[in-house]
Amino acid sequence: MNNKYEVILDTMPETENHIEILFRQAGDGFIQVEYGHDQRVELLDSFRILAVDSKIKKMQIQGLIETVPSLRANLIHFDPTVISAAQLIDKIKEAEDSVKGMDDMVIDSRIITLPIAFEDSQTKKAVELYLKQVRPDAPNCADGYNLEYMAQCNGCTVEDIKHMLLSTDWYNSGCGFWPGGGFFWPMDPRCKMIVPKYNPPRIWTPEGAVGIGGACLFTYTTATGGGYQLFGRTIPTFQFSMKHPQFKDGPFLYRPSGDRIRFVETTEKEILDIYDHVHDKTDYVYDIQEGQLVVKDYLEFLAKPEVQAGAKEFEEKQKRGSAAAPKL
Amino acid sequence: MEYTLKAHMPGLVARVVVEVGEHVEEGQELAVINCMKTEMSCKTEKAGVVKQILVAEWDEMEVGSPMIILDADA
Amino acid sequence: MIKILNGGIEMLVEDWPGRMGYMGLGMAPAGAADHLALQLGNLLVGNQPGEAGIEIAGGYCKFQMESDGVLALAGTDMEPKINGEAFPMWEAVPVKKGDVISLSHFGGKGGFRTYACIAGGIDVPEYLGSKSTCLFGNYGGFCGRKLQEGDLIKTGLGDSSAAGRKLNPKYIPEYTHVWELRVIPGPNSVPDYVTEEGMDYLFSTEMKISHNANRAAYRLAEVPDYFWARKDGGKGGSHPSNIVDHGYNMRGGINVTGNTPSLLIADGPTLGGFVCVGNVINADLWKIGQGIPSMDKVKFKLSTPEEAVEARMELKKMLEAKDLFVS
Repeated sequence: MNNKYEVILDTMPETENHIEILFRQAGDGFIQVEYGHDQRVELLDSFRILAVDSKIKKMQIQGLIETVPSLRANLIHFDPTVISAAQLIDKIKEAEDSVKGMDDMVIDSRIITLPIAFEDSQTKKAVELYLKQVRPDAPNCADGYNLEYMAQCNGCTVEDIKHMLLSTDWYNSGCGFWPGGGFFWPMDPRCKMIVPKYNPPRIWTPEGAVGIGGACLFTYTTATGGGYQLFGRTIPTFQFSMKHPQFKDGPFLYRPSGDRIRFVETTEKEILDIYDHVHDKTDYVYDIQEGQLVVKDYLEFLAKPEVQAGAKEFEEKQKRGSAAAPKL
Repeated sequence: MEYTLKAHMPGLVARVVVEVGEHVEEGQELAVINCMKTEMSCKTEKAGVVKQILVAEWDEMEVGSPMIILDADA
Repeated sequence: MIKILNGGIEMLVEDWPGRMGYMGLGMAPAGAADHLALQLGNLLVGNQPGEAGIEIAGGYCKFQMESDGVLALAGTDMEPKINGEAFPMWEAVPVKKGDVISLSHFGGKGGFRTYACIAGGIDVPEYLGSKSTCLFGNYGGFCGRKLQEGDLIKTGLGDSSAAGRKLNPKYIPEYTHVWELRVIPGPNSVPDYVTEEGMDYLFSTEMKISHNANRAAYRLAEVPDYFWARKDGGKGGSHPSNIVDHGYNMRGGINVTGNTPSLLIADGPTLGGFVCVGNVINADLWKIGQGIPSMDKVKFKLSTPEEAVEARMELKKMLEAKDLFVS
């Protein structure tokens, strides 16, 4: 079988440490490092990608421009007039080889605590506008907001939905859909709610909106369109002007990637006050703890009987809920 | 004599601002095309009476697509 | 300084190679849609080739010089005028305070964009290492937006030594209405996602550029259903164009959303849930920026990384050629 569009330049066979790794040609100055052939969603793939990514970045490779890590792939952008794809692949293989078993999988990962006001007036306005301008009969906005629909889809109550958002850490597998935005996944499988995206998408979402689509959570870094179901509003996670000391080196709050975020409930008044102290008075102090994600410890957590039982129980409820909930 | 206003820009018809039977002057705006999120005025090079409107809102225009036919003044 | 009297369809401050190194944080490189014309324009007026200029898409614009300087227009011929008299293309022309330069629009000669390059460059603050505007996120360039009537754009300090330089006619890029783009396949050009027949279609069909083509996505005519090798996107979503989110190989990526292929050339998302089946080589990116929406076509030609590197070197050599100018 000789397909003229075959693009696998090299591979690393499966070992006890990792699944098969594919190096795909992705263009003039691009290689995609992909984990396996299967389109799976496994945080473990992402942990390894980030662990290897940080090794690659420390190697000071001449001609490497940047990397764009995602859940199960890493896009490598390089200058082919400085380094060849083959040379670069050798370097990446070196980095892959240096990350052996779980013991080597320790990822720099800060914990950022973000206050959230559920169902605040700004995200509510976004839903109202959607009903008025885009889809008046949208089942996900039936009561004027999305929480009720999210509960339906997961076979639980609105209180459960809020509780799940607040009870797990959310892990960033990669930034990139929108300036400064991260893709966050629940680390506690008992909190893995799943909801469909808006269909069609919204035209406007306020800065700081917290939304979820599939199992992936997003905090809107600036006002924009979007398709995720909305919980409420958090504080700024991005600042174009870079006025606030937190943003002095760049407009981004999240690093590319591996950060964990954690939500605490507060009032809308408090949130608005923080906006003022971030964007105008520039004296808000972000709650950020430096830390590491030790993959081995995390796997031990996942293996706990109460975690496994809880996840299974929730999955059952979710199955029933998603079957009964109206499609979008 | 007939005169046909043609699209000078690719884009979508944002609106037609005249009606059939209306008399228009040379240089008057007859329609608006939205090109790359900017509204561009489509003006007639001839005075006359609007005979036929060939386009509706959101129609896609190529350069040279006929839009509006006038009975041009002699 | 330059005063904008009429912003026309789209006037933007852009440089080259744009804002590099931030894709992993969600920021596309932006930069000139036709980097060749921008670089030639800059060299004509004595600037560094990647200096910021004003990218004029479509035309219908007018601006006034607020100070003396040297100006070159590089790109498609939009019948430029200075105070009502013809203004030459591809030439460094001395201009005086009060001079009014007006451009008509792209014409039958092919091409969609022209760059106004001024000796000393455009003096807007660098944002994350570049003066380029990203319209998609509204940042960079001049206030993160298109230029509009009344805007005063600062220019850098330049001298007039380049005045009178003309581009050697043999180096004037050839414009057309069917643009041949050399493409390297990957990463999703394989039967896991798309059929070989589908890829053959892509490489053998002249595809029209959609009216909905902009700096975030140069959309093309749809591909047929047999393009897809699978029924749905599995874990990535319901359509076969869906994939578990991955980084986009931009600039130059051929991203397929539903059945619509788009060329990712400047702004837009850097990571997302749709397949990328190819990449237009760096040396041919400029042609996309000259493609007229809703009129021109593109044609892909199968290429290799080796050819891509060679083409980059050739372009670089041309920009450094001793006979680039005639006077």
